[in-house]
Parts: sequence; C-alpha cells; structure tokens
Amino acid sequence: MLEAFGDAAWRVRLPEGAGGRAVLDRLRALPRVVDAVVTERHALVTFDPAAPPQGVEAAIEQALSAPASAVSSREHVVRVRYDGQDLAEVARAAGVSVAEAVALHAGGAYVVAAIGFLPGFAYLRGLDPRLEVPRRESPRPRVPPLSVAVAGPYSGIYPFASPGGWNVVGTALGFAAFDASAGAALALGDRVRFTPEPS
Amino acid sequence: MIAVVSVTGLATVQDGGRAGRMHEGVPPGGPLVPELLARANAAVRNGPGEAAIEVLGAITVAVHGPGGAILVASDDGEPHALRSGAVLRVGADRARVRYLAVRGGLDVPCVLGGRGTLLAAALGGLEGRPLQRGDAIAVGRAPERGAEPPSPPDLAAPVRVVPGPDLDRFDGAALATLLASAYTVDARSDRMGVRLAGPAVARVGSDSGVSTPMVRGAVQIPPAGMPIVLGPDHPTVGGYPVLATVVRADLGTLCARPAGAPVRFSAWTPEGASPRTRRATPGH
Repeated sequence: MLEAFGDAAWRVRLPEGAGGRAVLDRLRALPRVVDAVVTERHALVTFDPAAPPQGVEAAIEQALSAPASAVSSREHVVRVRYDGQDLAEVARAAGVSVAEAVALHAGGAYVVAAIGFLPGFAYLRGLDPRLEVPRRESPRPRVPPLSVAVAGPYSGIYPFASPGGWNVVGTALGFAAFDASAGAALALGDRVRFTPEPS
Repeated sequence: MIAVVSVTGLATVQDGGRAGRMHEGVPPGGPLVPELLARANAAVRNGPGEAAIEVLGAITVAVHGPGGAILVASDDGEPHALRSGAVLRVGADRARVRYLAVRGGLDVPCVLGGRGTLLAAALGGLEGRPLQRGDAIAVGRAPERGAEPPSPPDLAAPVRVVPGPDLDRFDGAALATLLASAYTVDARSDRMGVRLAGPAVARVGSDSGVSTPMVRGAVQIPPAGMPIVLGPDHPTVGGYPVLATVVRADLGTLCARPAGAPVRFSAWTPEGASPRTRRATPGH
C-alpha cells in the first residue's frame, strides 16, 4: 500500500528480507519517478505532484517475485588498517581480544542493506553478532574520512569527515567511498569484504 | 568574472538541485527558497534554476574583466548592468536568505548533474565550499529565457502539511499539538533542516535504530520533541519518526523565515487530486 509522504513522494513498506536492489532498479526505471530510495523496510519514490508515476506497487511486486539471480551486484574488497580509536572498547564489549575482534570484523561477508546519512555511506549487514555494540552515547564532532566503524548490527565506512556516533575500528585504505564524478562506490545489494593491513 | 569583495554569514553557489541521486545518498539540493532564486534569475533572463549565489547573511560582489557590462540582480527583481569595478551588495537584513544571479548563470563545474554546493560532501559549487573574500567566479553562457518571475513567498501564511507517514509512532495528541501550536524558527537552522522551537511533540516508544528514506519537508520529531523540517541538503535516510510532511509548494515560505519568525502548520487535503493520490492518502 502506498503511504503519502507529503504531496511529492510515496512510501511503501517492504516485507522482511526483501531483495532491495531489484525493487530499487524497477522503481528507478519507472517513468515520472524522480528519485527512488530503498532501505531495509521501505521503498520511496519522489515525483512532481502534477505528474505522479503509475505502476509503483506493481513494479515492487514484480521485483519481489523475480529470482534473486536476476540482480547484478558487485563484490568489493576493502583493505583496512585496524587502528580505530574505539577498537579496544569494541573488543572489550565483545569479550574478545583486539586481535580476535579484528579477525571477527574482517571475517564477515557484508551486504549493502541501505545507503544514506552521507553521500556514499553504506549500511553493511553481516557483522558478527559478537561485535554488535550500540552507538556512542555522545557522537563525536568529527569522525575522520574513510573511518571503518560499527554500530548495532551494521558496519560502515564514512566517506567524508563528519560528526558521527559509530564506533571507529579502523581506516579504509585505497578506497574512494564517494567520487565527485562517479558517485557512490557501493550500491544497494553489493557485497563487501574487508582485509586487514598491518598498522 | 564575479569577484567576492566581502561575505558575512554563509554564501554558496546553488542551482535547481541534483535530482535522481538519492539512492546514492546524495540529497536533492536546490535552493532554500525556490521562488526567490527564480525571481533573481528571471530578472537577468535566466531559467529559474540557473546557478546563482545563495546568501544567509550578506555578500558584496564586484564585476571584473574586459567586455561590456554584466547584468546582475538579486531576488528584489531589479537588474543592474555593472561595468568592471562596479559593486553590488545583497544582504539578508530582515530576510533569512537572499539570492544574487548573473545573466548567463555562474560557470562552476556541473558535478553529478548539478552546480549547487553540497557542503557535507565538499561537492559542487566553488570547490565544494562556502564563498569567501577574494573568490572569482566565471560567468556562464546560459541562453536567455523569458519567464514571469514568481511572487515572493508569503511569510505569514500557514505551512501546509500532509499528516504522516509515521503516525503509528505517535499518540493521537501529537498531530493536534503540531497543528494547533505556535512555533518559531530556531537560529540553528541550516540547509539540512529548519529547526523549530515551541511546544514539544510527544512520541510513542523509542527509535527503532533502523533508518528509513526521508524527503525534503519531512517534519522529524527527535526524542526531545522539537520538530525539524528537513531542508534541501537533508540526509536521504533517517531514524526519527516523521509526524507530517510539508507540501512542496510551501517549502519556500518555511525556509524563507528568519530566526525567531513564527510558523503555524495546517493540514493539507488533496482537493481535486487524482483518485490515485486520494488512495495514497491515509484516511481516504
């Protein structure tokens, strides 16, 4: 069911575990859709109020019933120097050594579940449950660019210096999370692996 | 060339926006007050979304270089033909935001489909940053467009909202509080959002921690209950519940109000809307 989100957007609730990338691709291809955003539980389309799109619900249904293999996603391997200022605390909260925390983080098979907060910022599912720690109680005024961080069930890479409340475990090396000419490096549904680099 | 002689406050290059990139986390951008950008542009025979200077504060520019006069205008709609060395000051004074447009537009690079500045990503505009004294910006060659300038927004008008979409995260009194109360614009407002001061809006439950898509105009309610209405550079996803959403035609009147100005909301119903839209509106 379409929910009105103002007069220039609709939001639709998605079933749990839905294939977000297929939904996104179908919605972006619809005439009159200006922008489409898909997160884990919702899809959104924006449009000119004078010319709303048609077939939004049907496009979502088709995407949800299509085989997952129809979606093209890429795999990214990101090198990480595990030097984050919150790494020791994350390890302590997980009840493991720092070396074990690094191995757990780098051992995960991650998938881009949503994009937002900052241009190119990807919410990565696939974090080992032992590393699930809440956001910091007070956000830092400046998290350095390319910080690799964890919060709740997610890991992520800060594309830019920004205020942020996630726990920083490392720094991505040789990775442009967002490029002014190419846009975001990671797309919804892409797979990400981290490989540790000596610090 | 347009040279920046002095700036107080925040001046950036902005244009009609960068639509179609929200799935990459890139906000739509665009002017805080579309009517005022269009007025400044119309006065110099530009299209409504041509790149111009948006200033929260005041800016003085000078025209430099050989050639004839350059046509420059603010959103007051009065064009000025400036010869090399001539200066023009545009100040917000009692307004929140002003625009300064140049015939042909400002010639900054088109980045990801727009020339506007996105400060959070140091993207677009002049090197992705605010304008400062000593900057020089080339003048573009956008074709002449004859268009009737829109009226400036009515700053006393109620701001119309569509209820929701997160009504299930509030009790029944929350929407009534928003619609019945007098709010004022908080000085901490910026291009990411207009912060309001006034009666707190009560929420039900805590934030889920799962982010959902956001749009410009969404009235987010953080835990302390003071509404934030998302602006052109809003994060494309967010975790706070959205009690109501400002209709597109009223974004300008809200964002044009200076700190301390009053804001009242009213519920908008889609009069004459298509059956499709009616179906999409809760309660229809």
